[in-house]
Amino acid sequence: MSRRTALCAAAAFLVVAVLVAAFVGAADLNPLATAAALIDKAAPFLHLPTSLDPLDKAVLFQIRLPRVVLGALVGALLALAGAGYQGVFRNPLVDSGMLGASAGAGLGATLAIVYLGGAGPQVVPVAAFVGSLAGVAVAYATGAAASRHTVLSDGVATLLLAGIAVGSFLTAVQTFVLQRSASDIQAVYSWLLGSLSAASWQQVTTILPYAAVSSAILLLHGRHLDVLAVGDEEARALGLRPGLTRAIVVAASALAAASAVAVSGLIGFVGIVIPHIARRLAGPAYTGVLPLSLLIGAGFLVLADTLARTVLSPAELPIGVVTAFVGAPAFVWVLRGTRHVGT
Amino acid sequence: MNTPLRLAAFAAAAAACATALAACGASASSTTPASTTTPASRTTSSAGSQAGAASATAAFPVTVKAGNGEVTLKSYPTRIVSLSATATEDLYAVGAGSQVVAVDQQSDYPAGVPKTSLSGLTPNIEAIAKYNPSLVIASQDSGGLVAGMTKLGIPVLIEPAVATIAAAYAQIEQVGQATGHAAKAVTVATGMQRQIAANVKQAGASHQGLTYYWELSANPFYSAASSTFIGQVVGLFGLKNIADKASKPSDGGYPQVSQEYIVTARPQIIFLADNQAADGGQSPAIVAKRPGWSGIPAVQHDEVIGLNDDIASRWGPRLPELVGEIAQAVEQASK
Amino acid sequence: MTDLAAVDVTVTLDRSPVVKGVSCAVKGGGWLALIGPNGAGKSTLIRAMAGLVPYGGTITLDALDAKAMRGKERARTLAYVPQEPTLPPDLTVEQYVMLGRTPHLGYLATPGRRDRERVLAAMTRLDVTQFAKRRLARLSGGERQRAVLARALAGDPRALLLDEPTSMLDVGHEQQVLDLVDELRRDAGLTVVSTLHDLTVAGQYADTLVLLDGGRVVAAGAPRTVLTAPLIESVYAARVNVITGSDGHPVVAPVRRPSPELHDQP
Repeated sequence: MSRRTALCAAAAFLVVAVLVAAFVGAADLNPLATAAALIDKAAPFLHLPTSLDPLDKAVLFQIRLPRVVLGALVGALLALAGAGYQGVFRNPLVDSGMLGASAGAGLGATLAIVYLGGAGPQVVPVAAFVGSLAGVAVAYATGAAASRHTVLSDGVATLLLAGIAVGSFLTAVQTFVLQRSASDIQAVYSWLLGSLSAASWQQVTTILPYAAVSSAILLLHGRHLDVLAVGDEEARALGLRPGLTRAIVVAASALAAASAVAVSGLIGFVGIVIPHIARRLAGPAYTGVLPLSLLIGAGFLVLADTLARTVLSPAELPIGVVTAFVGAPAFVWVLRGTRHVGT
Repeated sequence: MNTPLRLAAFAAAAAACATALAACGASASSTTPASTTTPASRTTSSAGSQAGAASATAAFPVTVKAGNGEVTLKSYPTRIVSLSATATEDLYAVGAGSQVVAVDQQSDYPAGVPKTSLSGLTPNIEAIAKYNPSLVIASQDSGGLVAGMTKLGIPVLIEPAVATIAAAYAQIEQVGQATGHAAKAVTVATGMQRQIAANVKQAGASHQGLTYYWELSANPFYSAASSTFIGQVVGLFGLKNIADKASKPSDGGYPQVSQEYIVTARPQIIFLADNQAADGGQSPAIVAKRPGWSGIPAVQHDEVIGLNDDIASRWGPRLPELVGEIAQAVEQASK
Repeated sequence: MTDLAAVDVTVTLDRSPVVKGVSCAVKGGGWLALIGPNGAGKSTLIRAMAGLVPYGGTITLDALDAKAMRGKERARTLAYVPQEPTLPPDLTVEQYVMLGRTPHLGYLATPGRRDRERVLAAMTRLDVTQFAKRRLARLSGGERQRAVLARALAGDPRALLLDEPTSMLDVGHEQQVLDLVDELRRDAGLTVVSTLHDLTVAGQYADTLVLLDGGRVVAAGAPRTVLTAPLIESVYAARVNVITGSDGHPVVAPVRRPSPELHDQP
């Protein structure tokens, strides 16, 4: 389908997902009353009366809505980051957690939970954010240093390998720390499996600036990623600077992924599957894949979170489990339909 | 000249040793080296009264039915290793403190217990054996603890988390029996019963039917339903648990709940068992600030109580203290 | 209409010199063909002209030192087509040709009306408009080659650097492409520098030939002077006959070694 159609469809999908999520939850709020409350909030001049009492309103506006918005933000950021990395590495099997981003976040969160548990629940997101960025920085530096000394002419492959090595190392350190402190295992694993249960407007406003900056940078570099698709040499002949473009896109993707992971824990499959779906819908050009991934990723995660908090209500499934359950078969379906993608 | 005297002394000593060894061989298990000390020498060296020690040792051998089945203790255990914080409290409460040689890293009450790096969650058989225990008490059989100790001939008592208050009393009495302090244990249990009854009576009846939420952890939120031990303790006051509706047979009485569920249930009292820093740091102040929670009756009327997390997670002799904290909260709520 | 000149160009790759002091020049609108055996340094020299490998010596475009040019400026002047271009299989022809406009787009700019016009013009010129929405993977070899040329053209370059543009094509398609390039240079005044392995074809289309061997220039000049049997035989270690074709251009015909006589006859 044409890009315009795909974008409209994705936007509609996101809107539907948000609406469904807003009306569904453990607190059985009357749908009509909910609708009235929402409309009244959106258009205060209408003065619509609602039968929701103050407590239910608090549930809707303080607990449920920020969770929906945060879910959309996190989904958008993860999908964008995944698409960005896939463009930089010219490899469709790359996830937003690559280059040590997930491993760094996991280690940061583990260290915070085990050693800084007394400092309050705010420490973990900051530690995860810093850890994620640090992981990418180390992987990037390692890869850059290594590619100066390797025979591999393609610096991209070296970068990927460095990411894998750094990620494995950080995960090993995390496991070691965890084994030393068995009583924290449950807390750490809950975080690792991903959850939006602590969502609040405060979290939304905290990550919004990082989300805005990283998304803007990524969306503006779609054309550059398309030029990169013909290889470093041809791209240079066309006047692009491949090294600079790669550095910028990796940095923006890392920032996007770190912001998302800080508030939601590790959620897999979004970064790798959503860009594929975008490609299937509107072709491989990143000028289309990036905005599509943003919209589809947002809608997908909102729906996944809705499932996570309603299927076993009032208990909640870790959202990483839901995305894996849905994402894995989706991934297989996408792979079956994909032609062999050359470099 | 001294030789015949020396010979006689030697013979006498040998005879005495032989008698002692025979006595030991009959009463203790053959592989525990600690049991080579004779009861006679023990009574002279202990600070307690000779009569009390004599009656303690006279209670042996004793067989108790613990979590791991019937366990027989052949003699008064002089070296006890405790791998359970609750068991440690029980031991000291019934007067067996002087017999305790090592406790696990989670045991911190009473002050001055011989804390070690032993773990009750992941016990290391060799590390435990190094203390030469004559009795090991744990709250769960993990890491092949019972099998390992049995191989070494060391008796193990598994005293698991209890399901009822009556079982808590029974467990304390069992610990007393196994350590030679049966009488004292009964006294302790009776004292607890009386104190708890007094607390309940004092709290009055105006609070019957108030709803409460017991928080074990936040993000994810786990609660304890009224079928659990802690639920029964609170149930003494006639309060209604909001987690009951969420509990399914599969969660064993510890359902996971969501914020939406908790808030819309409008609990009038909130008990926090996770307010200490090590357990999650969810103090009443932090809980009150949770978005959307300000409208909950418990928050509005300042009925969010941070409990002593340790006492709230154990089922030992300090149970009356927990009941006291709950009673205080309930009395305040009724006003 | 850009004059291109290389003066004493040296290129070292992996610590071994591949191009050793090569000088050659082509006037605006002319066609320079680089010929020589495998490994003579032809591709490397072209890449140096495109600014893709570091080099010693000077390369000038209209008497301006290419090293002084910024990457984008050089990209606007020269269009480089490698021997095996990377073709993202799922990109449409239109999207692929649009990549050729990159040198003309600002950092954050998106293609506008003028860019679309130039892309359409290039596709029309190369006769690939009917494939505009088709994916590159669905084109035949010849169609793909034309798409690549369209991309090169879309950037409105003043010079084309083509590395073996027809090595994969059959004789018919080869002629098609080279005829087209010739047409382009006549109409638009494009300067063409290409490597061609087929000596006859090189002689037919280029007006200047430069014969390289071992990184050095062995001969340079009009095809007639460069394509001589002794020269070719010594450089290529081959046996050839050079004859004059019906169009007046030299034809290099390989000669087979005489097969051994059969002595035994029944």
